[in-house]
Amino acid sequence: MRISLNWLKEYVDIPVDADTLAEHLTMLGLEIEAMDRPGAEISEVYIGQILSIEPHPDADKLVVCRTDIGREDPLQIICGATNMKVGDKVPTAVVGATLPGGFAITRRKMRGIESFGMMCSPKELGLGEDHQGLMILEPDTPVGADARTILGLDDVILDIEVTPNRGDWASMIGVARELAAFYNTPCRIPELRLRETGEAATALSSVTIEDPEKCPRYIGRVLDGVRLGPSPAWLCRRLIAAGQRPINNVVDITNYVLLETGHPLHAFDYDKLAENRIVVRCARPGESMATLDGTVRQLTPDMLVIADAKAPQAVAGVMGGADSEVGEGTSRIFLESACFHPVSIRRTSRALGLVTEASQHFQRGADPEMAVYAIDRAAMLMQELAGARIAPGLLDAYPRPCMTPVIRLRHARANALLGTDIDAETQRNILRRLGFGIGNDTDESCDCTAPTWRPDVSQEADLIEEIARLHGYEKIPVTLPQVRQSEMVFAPHESKLRKLRRLLVDIGLTELVNWTFSSRDNVLRAKLSPEYLDMVTLQNPLSENHATMRSSLIPGLLANAAFNLNHGVERMAAFELGPVYKPLKNNNLPDERMRVGVVLVGPRQEPHWSESLQPFDFYDLKGVAETILDFFDEAVNLCENDLDIFQPGQSAEIQVNGAPFGVLGKVSVAVLKAFDIEKPVYLLELDLKHLLEKPKIHPQFEAMPAFPPCLRDMAVVVDREVPVGKLLAAAAQAGGTLLKKINVFDVYTGEPIPIGKKNVALSLAFQSPDKTLTDADTQKSWDRILKRLEKEFNAVLR
Amino acid sequence: MKEQIEALRREALDAIAAAGDLKALEETRVRLLGRKGRLTEILRGISQTPPEDRPVLGQAANAVKADITAAIEARRNALEAQAESERARAEWVDLSLPGRRPPRGHMHVINQVYDEILDIFHELGFQVATGPDVETEYYNFDSLNTPPDHPARDSHDTFFVKPGVVLRTHTSPVQMRVMEKTAPPVAVVVPGRVYRVDYDASHSPMFNQVEGLLVDEGVTFADLKGSLMLFIHRFFGRDTRVRFRPHFFPFTEPSAEVDISCTVCKGQGCRVCKHSGWLEILGCGMVHPNVFAYAKYDYEKYTGYAFGMGVDRIAMLRHAISSIGHLFENDLRFLEQF
Ligand SMILES: [Zn+2]
Repeated sequence: MRISLNWLKEYVDIPVDADTLAEHLTMLGLEIEAMDRPGAEISEVYIGQILSIEPHPDADKLVVCRTDIGREDPLQIICGATNMKVGDKVPTAVVGATLPGGFAITRRKMRGIESFGMMCSPKELGLGEDHQGLMILEPDTPVGADARTILGLDDVILDIEVTPNRGDWASMIGVARELAAFYNTPCRIPELRLRETGEAATALSSVTIEDPEKCPRYIGRVLDGVRLGPSPAWLCRRLIAAGQRPINNVVDITNYVLLETGHPLHAFDYDKLAENRIVVRCARPGESMATLDGTVRQLTPDMLVIADAKAPQAVAGVMGGADSEVGEGTSRIFLESACFHPVSIRRTSRALGLVTEASQHFQRGADPEMAVYAIDRAAMLMQELAGARIAPGLLDAYPRPCMTPVIRLRHARANALLGTDIDAETQRNILRRLGFGIGNDTDESCDCTAPTWRPDVSQEADLIEEIARLHGYEKIPVTLPQVRQSEMVFAPHESKLRKLRRLLVDIGLTELVNWTFSSRDNVLRAKLSPEYLDMVTLQNPLSENHATMRSSLIPGLLANAAFNLNHGVERMAAFELGPVYKPLKNNNLPDERMRVGVVLVGPRQEPHWSESLQPFDFYDLKGVAETILDFFDEAVNLCENDLDIFQPGQSAEIQVNGAPFGVLGKVSVAVLKAFDIEKPVYLLELDLKHLLEKPKIHPQFEAMPAFPPCLRDMAVVVDREVPVGKLLAAAAQAGGTLLKKINVFDVYTGEPIPIGKKNVALSLAFQSPDKTLTDADTQKSWDRILKRLEKEFNAVLR
Repeated sequence: MKEQIEALRREALDAIAAAGDLKALEETRVRLLGRKGRLTEILRGISQTPPEDRPVLGQAANAVKADITAAIEARRNALEAQAESERARAEWVDLSLPGRRPPRGHMHVINQVYDEILDIFHELGFQVATGPDVETEYYNFDSLNTPPDHPARDSHDTFFVKPGVVLRTHTSPVQMRVMEKTAPPVAVVVPGRVYRVDYDASHSPMFNQVEGLLVDEGVTFADLKGSLMLFIHRFFGRDTRVRFRPHFFPFTEPSAEVDISCTVCKGQGCRVCKHSGWLEILGCGMVHPNVFAYAKYDYEKYTGYAFGMGVDRIAMLRHAISSIGHLFENDLRFLEQF
């Protein structure tokens, strides 16, 4: 809502400058979106009167004028406009003046004749789009006066944002009323001077409300002898200041009164209404009508319409109809001022996809008392500005009178909620200033009745907010609460997740955060197993590519790898820790569980002068998996499994205690191609649900060994395909109690090892709690291990 | 005999001085002082001399031994120092070459900011609570005093999963979930992703919030002011100015929005703060009695405050990030800056 400060001052005295006012409004809850000073750049423009107009001797399209601006000599000004005549008063910029956009007026020669200024069009002064001709002012405008003052160019426009609870603020009077309460000064609401003549309104028309729920009040007036024409300049200026375009006096007056009172009005051509009467009813099945914007609207029976005896003539509270539009030839008007149920208007406006000035006001709730003032104010202006004769009497159907609740305010409760010490009288005064009725006041409490323009106030807390607001939020003390904590733990996994995130960062991985949207196509491109196609689907997604919630982190990670490689990033070691979603049967919300995904691309290290770069390989990825599972006190068990997403032979399922918790591997060429990636990518995804739920294991102390271990190496040659893991497991089992630790420290293929074989070097640590072991002590154990490896894996000792 | 001793001294000192390295010096020492060395030979010779001469000769021999030992020690020190400096020269390092660093990962800037916010409230005694991203309309709207057709729903352009199920538009539904689970006192902060159908240079359809809720006997608006001012001073610095101004939220009454003095221009007015000197960073208020009614909390006995802030916006302000789009693009060249 754009508030003209000059206009606002007609309703209330403002004791401060514009900037301070903006601050005060802000602290009252009216947010200032912008402050506009439309004429700030304009200087040295005065009201001039044209004394003579002579043709330019050397230019057909120019004339030479002499214009009096109240100085000793009239100015000689060359002008290209044609709409003026001698005696007209026009805004005149003298030499040295500046106009919007920094345009400066200088003395210059035009086709040989000097010009000492410029007479302005509305557009040149930033007062609208009209640049066809000069801005001709009213004949009584004083010559020589500063045009800034006369034309309101010294105005300040405050663009305020009105919160949805305060429909009353969407009007000049509403804002003025608030300021009057704040500054504790009276609010001046324009006086009504109506002269009613002729036949009574009740004889000319009638109003029937069929649905009082949707329309609790409907007021009409009949006006005769209306002469359509342009509005006077002052009215046009105000509409322009408010961001509107003047149309004709009747339309402009309804718009003006809407700006002033916040109450939407509608004018029907009385003679186009069948039987000249109004029926407020719901649309009949199959009914349609053409609205003012020229569109034919299909109506449904839950939509309220304003009909005549036969057909709908307006979508109630949203838009008028084309059939009964006021236009050329209109002389009698039926003026409407009504209250509609906000929800009904909201639904209709949504269903029709039609948001109008009126619908926005009605959605916030209308003031049934302001409805009366607004229609009388409009009738008065039509009488004054459009020559209307007003038929005596209101047609006022008011089946559901507005009931304002009586709300008890306990003064101590207000202070207890706010943490303040505001005395009872101050509290009551604040409410009185805001228009509340106060009764039954005692030291402890009072009964409050909200004014009709405050439907948002329905309980004590609302009154307390009013007290806080007018008292000033800045005056409320600042204290720290004694925070008492509940026994219950609400997010038991949060701290584990934070620690895991920190751990992954500390081992050198960078964290990714993707949108959680995905699509079925993403799952197919990544060749994930079909269960991932079971996705949570959005009804109104941003795009096809964001049509579902993700079922896996992997497509996002692949897209991130592609993006980075395409942007010249050579190395990527990154992870994402976030939820995936899966629909559940019945009416349950989807399953949401945390997963971790890891992506490795490019060299293992950042480039360094001391060594050559080695690419990431499978064991880097496995090492990350081991680190993550170690964090949860679990060991990694990889189960070879040729998944479509990975390259065969480097593709595995991660099992924990026999259950599949995730996958890892080297991404297959086909999937890389689908994501436009040309470098090897290693990927891991691990479901954390069960790991997070595992109780933490607290390691139990074991005494440090008293005697040193006896370390021995064993190198055996086995077939290349023998998994070293199995070799180690067998050796550990065969080693007996003396064998404390077994490590593989080398795996070698190539000369002199025969083709198809590999050399595996094991280091064995034997240890006894009772003595220092010698090689001889460990020989039995050693022999058992060797024999087992020979038997089980055809191992040959080297 | 005396001459012999003197000759040994001269000869020995020359030999010691001539020893070019520690190995040669050791050979010299053995030759002079060893079991079969020259000095031993002389001492043996003294035992052949007349007894009356022996004390004098013995004294002289001991003096030579001491001199030789001292000379060897001095020479050894000198040679050792020389060897050390040669080694040092050989092992000279170029200080200007880059060091070998362990790999460094970067936590996403959003999570860094989350951590810092949550840590401050943790210190104040709040615990973390979480809730689902896919949420019922009941928790997201109805139970927060935002019934269907409430105009406040217009400002939340909601993603729908199916009738009655939405992507949460704010973290506030977790308030109700927590209150349903326990009686007061309640003190929680709620981090989480939230969603709105809004995508342009300054809006992301997924973004991040932290919600706070404190319910107990005697919680006041003054407490709300105090808690949030403490948070703001910790997070943005002690010299940050704070402004609470009235606002409207369906689930709080009274409600406020909180502005801080612009972090870019310090309140002088710039493009970031739209020349107002202030930046809006959070919304808050006293929990609405209707919300308590949904939670079956006694509004006469308990009061509470709630607040919510946009983590993305706070991260962008702190790090001068120009577009919210960067936060979710996952460009490593961006992520590694933080
Ligand atoms: Zn600024």
